[in-house]
Amino acid sequence: MTTPARRRLMRDFKRLQEDPPAGVSGAPSDNNIMLWNAVIFGPHDTPFEDGTFKLTIEFTEEYPNKPPSVRFISKMFHPNVYADGSICLDILQNRWSPTYDVSAILTSIQSLLHDPNPNSPANNEAAQLYRENRREYEKKVAAIVQESWNDDEDDDVEEEEGGKTAS
Amino acid sequence: MSQTDMKRQLSDPASDATDSEDMEEDDEYANYYYDNTDDLDIDKPKKTDDPEYFEYTILQTEDAERLLNEEVERLCSELKMSPSLAKMLLHVGQWQGEDIIERYQQDQRKLLTESNVSCPKEMKEDSLVGSSPGCPVCAECYPRDKFMGLTCGHLFCPHCWDMHFRFQIEQGITMGIECMGQKCKILVPEDFLYSVLKDSKLRDRFSKLCFMDLIKGHPKLRFCPGPNCSVIIHAKEPRAKKVECSVCKSTFCFRCGIEYHAPTDCDVIKKWLTKCADDSETANYISAHTKDCPSCHVCIEKSAGCNHMQCSKCKFDFCWMCLGDWKSHGSEYYECSRYKENPNIANESVLVQAREALKKYLFYFERWENHAKSLQLEEQTLQKITSRINVKVMENEGTWIDWQYLQNAAALLKKCRYTLQYTYPYAYYMDKGGRKQLFEYQQAQLEAEVENLSWKVERAEITHRGDLENQMDIAEKRRQTLLKDFLEV
Repeated sequence: MTTPARRRLMRDFKRLQEDPPAGVSGAPSDNNIMLWNAVIFGPHDTPFEDGTFKLTIEFTEEYPNKPPSVRFISKMFHPNVYADGSICLDILQNRWSPTYDVSAILTSIQSLLHDPNPNSPANNEAAQLYRENRREYEKKVAAIVQESWNDDEDDDVEEEEGGKTAS
Repeated sequence: MSQTDMKRQLSDPASDATDSEDMEEDDEYANYYYDNTDDLDIDKPKKTDDPEYFEYTILQTEDAERLLNEEVERLCSELKMSPSLAKMLLHVGQWQGEDIIERYQQDQRKLLTESNVSCPKEMKEDSLVGSSPGCPVCAECYPRDKFMGLTCGHLFCPHCWDMHFRFQIEQGITMGIECMGQKCKILVPEDFLYSVLKDSKLRDRFSKLCFMDLIKGHPKLRFCPGPNCSVIIHAKEPRAKKVECSVCKSTFCFRCGIEYHAPTDCDVIKKWLTKCADDSETANYISAHTKDCPSCHVCIEKSAGCNHMQCSKCKFDFCWMCLGDWKSHGSEYYECSRYKENPNIANESVLVQAREALKKYLFYFERWENHAKSLQLEEQTLQKITSRINVKVMENEGTWIDWQYLQNAAALLKKCRYTLQYTYPYAYYMDKGGRKQLFEYQQAQLEAEVENLSWKVERAEITHRGDLENQMDIAEKRRQTLLKDFLEV
C-alpha cells in the first residue's frame, strides 16, 4: 500500500540516486522502505577523514511532518553524538522542516562531523577534549575511524560494534 | 499688561497649581459621593492604606474573548491591518498595544520582521521550479497556482500545509506555528490557517488552544488555577498580589499563580518551595505533632493553632517553638522567630559550616511548617465557632449579628497567621544587616500579637468582646505595618 510517507521516501531515494551528494550514501533496507541504511564518509581535512560510518534511519508514517530517528551504528566519538549513537542536531529536533529529505539529513550530519557544537554536548568527554585538548580528541577520533573499517569487513549492519581487536 | 505678560501669567505654575487643586477638591467631593459604598463594606480594603489592595475582575470565557477582540480591533483600526495580523503582533508584543502602534508608525517593516510576521524583501525566495513544479514536501506535481505560502515565498501544496497544521495542533502549538521552509521562522497567521484547514474538529481545537495561548501570553489575564474552574482573572496591573476567585474560592498570587505569598516575592517563594521539596527527608523528623511538657514531661499533642501552650497537667505556660517559659518572652520581644547565627561562622571548617547551614534551614522550616499546621487547626477553630454561634442563635442567646465578631476574629487570625507563615521564607533568604533586623523585629511583634489573638480566640466565650476586638486591631495593624514596609510591589 502506498501512503504519502512512502511516496515521499521513493522520491527521496530517486533523488539520492540521480543527484548523489559527495561523501554520503543511503538506501532503504531490502523489504522495508521505512528503514534505511546509510553510510557517511569522514569529511576531508577533519579527524574523521577516511572513516566509513554506518547509520540507520527510521521513518514513521508521519514523515515528512515529523523527522525520522537517525542513529550511528558504527562507534562514534563526537561532542554531539550520544553513547547509543543518536544525534543531537537541531534539524532533527526542534528546527525540523518537512522540506528536508534523506539527502539533506545525511549532508547535515556530515557537516556536523566537520563542525561540532561543543555548547550542546551529548558526549561530555568528547566536548571537553574538543575544547581543551584537541590532540587527545583527534587521537580518540582516529581510534574510532580505525574501528569503522573493521565494521566494514562483516557486512551486518544490525550488529553493533562487536568484540574486535584493532590490528 | 502686554500680551506676553498675560500669557506668562496664564501659564504661571503657581496659578496652575491652585487650579488643579480646585479640580482635585471637586474630584474628592465627587469621589466621596460615588465611593461611599466602600465605607459600608468593611472587609474591602481601601486603596490608600492597604499594601495588599489589588484591583481585578473575574471574567467568563466569553468576556475574556470580547476583551481580547476589543484590543485586536483597536489595533486593526489604528494601523489598518487584518485582525489576524493584529492578533499576532499583540501576542508577540505581549499585548503592549501602545508600544506596538508606536513602533509600527516609526518603522513598519522593522516591527513586522522582528515579530517574525513578514520576511525582509532580500530574503524572499521562490522555492518552485518549472511550470508544473513538485511540492518540496510531498513531491507531487501541481499547476503553479495551486501552491500557497506566506510572505517568505516558501510555497507548498494545500495538502502539505493541511498536514503541517494537523501535526502542529496535535502538539499543542497554535500561535507559534511556523512556515515549513528550512530555517524559516515566519509565523502562520490564523486567516491563512483557516483558509487551508477544513476539518471542523481541528478548527475547533485550534480555536480553543489558541485562546488558551493568548490568555497565557497576556500579562493582565490569568486562568484561575482552581480545580475545574474556568474563569479568567483580569487585573488592572500585572502585580504579585492576592486574588480570590469568586467562583471556586481559591486564593493565589496573580503573577505566578501559586498560593499567595506576601511578603515573599514570586522568585523567592519558588526557590523556597523547591528547597523544601528537595530536603523533605531531612525535615520530616521535626514534623511530629507531639512534644513533652518542659516542666512535668507529660506528652503533649498540639491540637489548636496557638503556640502559647499550657500543660493540662501541671498548668505550666510555655512556648511550643522553643519550649521555654512563655512569660520569659515578655510583652515586647518575642525571640523565637529570630535565628541566631554563629558569629564566628566564617572561620569554621566546611563541615561546621554545612551543619550550620542545615541548622539555619531547619530553624526556618520548622517555623514555616508549624504555622502551616496551626493554620489548619485554626480552620477547625473557625468551624467550631461558627457552629457554636448557630447553637446560640437557635437558643435565642442573641442574634447572629451579636456573635459575628467571634467569627471575624477567627477569620482575621487565619489571615494574620498566613502572612506570618510567609515571612519565614522571606527572612531565610534575606541578607544580614539593618533591614533584616527591622524585619525580624516586626516579625517578632506580629508573632507575639498573633499568639495573643490565638489564645483569646480559643477562649473566645470567656474573653471580653472589647478585649478581643482590641487584640484583633493590634494584630492586623502589625500585619499591615510589616507588609507596608516589606511587600515589594
